[in-house]
Amino acid sequence: MTRLTDLPPAQAKRLAEAECPKFETTPWVTGPALSQRRIAIVSSAGLVVRGEMPFRGRDADYRAVPVDTRPEDLLVSHISINFDRTGLQEDWNVAFPLERLKELAADGVIGSVAETHYSFMGASDPIQMEPHARELAGHLKRDQVDSVLLCPV
Amino acid sequence: MSALAHYLEEEGLATVAISLIRPQTENTKPPRALWVPFELGRPFGPPGEAAFQRRVILAALGMLERDNGPVIIEDFPDDDPRWQPDPGWRPPPIPAPPAAGSAEALAAQLEAEIPQLRNAHQRWVAQYGRTAVGLCGLSISECGRYVADWLCGKAPPSPREAFSAPLMLRFAVDDVKAYYLEAAAAGTGRPSSRQLGDWLWNETAAGAAIHALREACLASEDDRLKLIAGNFMVPAARVRSTG
Repeated sequence: MTRLTDLPPAQAKRLAEAECPKFETTPWVTGPALSQRRIAIVSSAGLVVRGEMPFRGRDADYRAVPVDTRPEDLLVSHISINFDRTGLQEDWNVAFPLERLKELAADGVIGSVAETHYSFMGASDPIQMEPHARELAGHLKRDQVDSVLLCPV
Repeated sequence: MSALAHYLEEEGLATVAISLIRPQTENTKPPRALWVPFELGRPFGPPGEAAFQRRVILAALGMLERDNGPVIIEDFPDDDPRWQPDPGWRPPPIPAPPAAGSAEALAAQLEAEIPQLRNAHQRWVAQYGRTAVGLCGLSISECGRYVADWLCGKAPPSPREAFSAPLMLRFAVDDVKAYYLEAAAAGTGRPSSRQLGDWLWNETAAGAAIHALREACLASEDDRLKLIAGNFMVPAARVRSTG
């Protein structure tokens, strides 16, 4: 488990005290019932479809993961090695729960699943990520997405 | 993650974030976040446990229907059952871990060890239908050779135009680690991540070679290589004091 007390003390201290951006506003978007929402995954695991360009260093942009991507074609290119990768190797749903989302859509719990999902590399500078995130919002809205599940590692 | 929540929500998209580091989430104040008590890398909990994962995702998505924000941060109550070690798990058999030796000897042991795990790795691929090996674009034997050449001080150029040599080395090391961890988890048993890591870092020539490579690169005059070696080869919890 990731209670900070379970991590090596230096790593726990670094994570707990990591400098976080401060925001002046507290945005809040409401929407319809879950059963009518169209949902996309946005990961920060540095995910990349096999054959495409991995995240190099701290690239602040994002990669697209089409909804029909097969599990064997998804790779992790996150720069950090201080998180478990064995879970993701066995079952991508531990960090990229696309199959769970598809099941929820099939069961009528959510409205639908986006055509395209996305990944950033979470160790990048949030300030440099901002223009890419705002560009990404446009792509999501053109796909009629109204809600986003943010998945860290 | 929380910064992305702010940006996307400001653009008109409702977001809910999984939180793994609660203090960071408390500092950044995303609109909605579900903290989970799982190890880093597993925001939805145990692999192969669809029902458990579904409970996590439903707890998160349910927050999208709430009207008492911003900011809402809640806690998922249950631990990951796969955190516990499996005493019945056994790693694939390989020769005894190498005694301390020259870099060349260690490099040769690494290259000899990789094919000894081929059958186990093939069982993994058959069992789970996927592999995380493939970042650097070389075959696993070529990865081993590339890492071995670096360990021997040859500083081979990157075979891929898009990657600098230090980046190529990082991806090759990532691929070697992925190959070993998959081979280790093939077959019976449901090992915890710690069991798998203990085996890789303490019981294999690959673990010893990557430790030695890290030390060698840290002594380099190439700042980029030193940065990669120091931070992105051996997990912080596995770095040995060289005293």
